[in-house]
Amino acid sequence: MGQVIVITSGKGGVGKTTTTANIGTGLALLKHRKVVMIDADIGLRNLDVVMGLENRIVYDLVDVVQGVCRLKQALIRDKRFENLYLLPAAQTKDKTAVSPEQMKNLCGQLKEEFDYVLVDCPAGIEQGFKNAIAGADRAIIVTTPEVSAVRDADRVIGLLEAAGFEEPQLIINRIRPDMVKRGDMMDIDDIIDILAIDLLGVIPEDERIVISTNRGEPAVADESSKAGQAYRNVTLRLEGENVPLMSLDVEPTLMERIKMLFGLRAKK
Amino acid sequence: MSQKMVVIKGTRDGISIILRRRSDFETIKNTILEKLQKGGDFFKGGEARLLVKEGHISQEEMEQLETMLKEYGLNLKKDHPLYTISFPTPPLPETLILKKTLRSGQRISYGGNVVIIGDVNPGGEVIAKGDILVFGALRGMAHAGAEGDANSIVAAYRLQPTQLRIAGVIARPPEGKSAVPQVPEVARLKDGVIEIEPYYLL
Repeated sequence: MGQVIVITSGKGGVGKTTTTANIGTGLALLKHRKVVMIDADIGLRNLDVVMGLENRIVYDLVDVVQGVCRLKQALIRDKRFENLYLLPAAQTKDKTAVSPEQMKNLCGQLKEEFDYVLVDCPAGIEQGFKNAIAGADRAIIVTTPEVSAVRDADRVIGLLEAAGFEEPQLIINRIRPDMVKRGDMMDIDDIIDILAIDLLGVIPEDERIVISTNRGEPAVADESSKAGQAYRNVTLRLEGENVPLMSLDVEPTLMERIKMLFGLRAKK
Repeated sequence: MSQKMVVIKGTRDGISIILRRRSDFETIKNTILEKLQKGGDFFKGGEARLLVKEGHISQEEMEQLETMLKEYGLNLKKDHPLYTISFPTPPLPETLILKKTLRSGQRISYGGNVVIIGDVNPGGEVIAKGDILVFGALRGMAHAGAEGDANSIVAAYRLQPTQLRIAGVIARPPEGKSAVPQVPEVARLKDGVIEIEPYYLL
């Protein structure tokens, strides 16, 4: 029996879909787990694009729920990574096409067969959110170091607690170490101070994410990507391994190196 | 909650409806209605007594119940004393102690003092008739003396509210990034203005 994990945030654009794609791929790639990713963002599907599987969609989540096809028929197998599957969202329907009860059933069926069922939750706290969390056993909250994103994350944690989730875990996405160092961005401690939940990982801002997203190749498989490395660490932590947070120190610039050489500036 | 809010029992002299009033009247009515519907014709022509074990049912509510029971063929016997076994509801405790962090979108409103053991995050709201004490960081909104008591105070281990209200006065922190207070602080009304002082001056 596997587990169902919902990836949620409240605010849009903080990286839920990217996180789902990378954790899903990471678990299949590094740990050879049998993983299915569900795109619960009906009407605004994205996960298929990020995974580069858009052109293989025949049936979708709503078709399964409405009995148009069998569950197996709607699952898309990712040919690059063994054991990785996607259940895409419908693009022509909206969130009301599915009920929480139906999602619960669906997740229940999937976890019989898969080690991990990852649910990519839509932004917001309405019907789509309620559907996405209905069948989940655990929750991962994604936030960015912005006051608005942290505020929404806090709201969502409150709602999850009310729905009986015991220990949601946090991923801080798109952190820019240089800006944190200058005091222009919230740092990890500021965020943990407010949200007071377990930290699952910190993902640095990385241009390569944009490239890999556009290409439909998850960064977690890219050895040279910093964000990819961070997602690999998150994957291992999910599997219960004790991986320290990676160092986010910025490389000193040439000018700083020279200054350091002359002792003009103490090494930080 | 071990004891049910509404229990319907058959006794020697008819049917007893035992009420424990723990929620609004509408819910109680609905619960009774549900039970009556389940019973179908079973209740027809019977006589019922109402026992109120907790709380109070007003005359008007009583009449509403009577009409409802009539529809199911039950006569409400009124010759019996209404409160056969009457335990007075304990008065609301004056202070509500909450061991929990109040997150964005969560709100506590209470007709007494409120003590929170945890934080109040931005977007969270605490409203009290009396004083508000936060054993943690108060980053959201707090309204003490919400019914007009100007002697109410707001105290917090770290007082960094989005907005403070005491009785009818509203205050917000000065513009710009203010330093995190390093000591517990108390806010109170002085000459119609909210003033904040370190806690040890209390």
